[in-house]
Amino acid sequence: MAKNVYARQSFLGPHSVRTLADLRVGIVGVGGGGSHVAQQLAHVGVGHFVIPDPDVLKAHNLNRTVGARWNDINRKTAKGRIAERLIRGVNPRARVVARPVGWADMRLELATCDALLGCLDTYQQRAELEAFARRYQIPYLDIGMDVTGQEGEYVISGQVIASIPGYPCMRCLGFLTEAKLAREAARYGMAGPRPQVVWSNGTLASAAVGVVVRWFCPWRRADTGLTYLDYDGNRDRLTEHNRLLYLSDIRCGHYAHLGSVGDPFWKATRARRRQA
Amino acid sequence: MDIRLKLPTLLLQQIRTDLRIPHAFAAERVGFVSCAVGAIVGGIAVLAHGYHPVDDGDYVDNPRYGAMMGSGAIRKALQFAFNNKAAMFHVHLHEHMGKPRFSRTDLAEYPKFVPDFWKVQPDLPHGALLLSEDRATALVWHPGLRQPQPAGEIWEIGAKMRKL
Repeated sequence: MAKNVYARQSFLGPHSVRTLADLRVGIVGVGGGGSHVAQQLAHVGVGHFVIPDPDVLKAHNLNRTVGARWNDINRKTAKGRIAERLIRGVNPRARVVARPVGWADMRLELATCDALLGCLDTYQQRAELEAFARRYQIPYLDIGMDVTGQEGEYVISGQVIASIPGYPCMRCLGFLTEAKLAREAARYGMAGPRPQVVWSNGTLASAAVGVVVRWFCPWRRADTGLTYLDYDGNRDRLTEHNRLLYLSDIRCGHYAHLGSVGDPFWKATRARRRQA
Repeated sequence: MDIRLKLPTLLLQQIRTDLRIPHAFAAERVGFVSCAVGAIVGGIAVLAHGYHPVDDGDYVDNPRYGAMMGSGAIRKALQFAFNNKAAMFHVHLHEHMGKPRFSRTDLAEYPKFVPDFWKVQPDLPHGALLLSEDRATALVWHPGLRQPQPAGEIWEIGAKMRKL
């Protein structure tokens, strides 16, 4: 049965069905972007999901949350529950741990994942999740979109960025800067609802799923490990960001010290207690 | 206990490149990998971070062994572990494809020096890592366990993620 389901993706390799079924993926935020990611990874055959999201579905989420239904608004269904329902509808064997909490409350489960996808709204949240992923040497993929400008001149933009241990991080790539973080902190509480649309989220999520599958089931030999895709929603283009052309070194200097890896408070005595 | 070892590709390349360099008299090279540790569900993740080759002058000329470390090599590794709160893994390379296996000599010698790292970092696991050209195996001395335990999964983390 499983062989037939995945027959059309056999180019991913003879062991790809097993590899993907064993894969543990954390999706942090299952709104507009994350719900697409969850759905597509379920179709591809990923077998284990960890999904923290503290939000419930609201009316203004229905325009882009894949799997959401009209009555989820009245029922105040948790977004994680919607993602879980969506995944199990595609793959009933998938193991899904979805909780209505912030990602920091599922640190242990996320640390156990083989890949993390961040579908978050703020630079600060991205910075924190990337640091966590680096700490546990988990490949991290960030997706996000934005609509800026004013009436008649709106600009839809977005990005897909891979942050792989040892390779450039989002700071190396200039996506995260102290100036952006400071500006965001100064605007805290003033942001208001941010425009989001389903087609842009879908484009970015599809690209992200392709990157994750390529990490674990590469269908061609050559790969640099660098992913920074720039989305121009006005021209319907997804292109490699110019920043990659000007990288002088592919080694990350921001997470190079031993203190940036592992849990500094971990002690074997904790492990003993857990074992007991 | 689930023990997962992760090795970034760039570090792995550095280790394999160094271990392939011929030595003046030793038949093979050895080194140490410094690691950090974190909790995962049901176990620990051992996160390789740095490579510390044994200096040429710290080998002992003993034809009974492929490579024999002098006291200086162990002392430097102990010092690094102490200064940096690092878990330390002895590493060497078997130049073949496929899953490598520790030799009887390896298994007899590791218990003589790996537990010494607990004298400087008693709360961290230490161990031994054996690489082949495409795979790896590892034995972990965890302070919460009486016997060394094989790593359940060893992952290469890079442009491609794969179990070694």
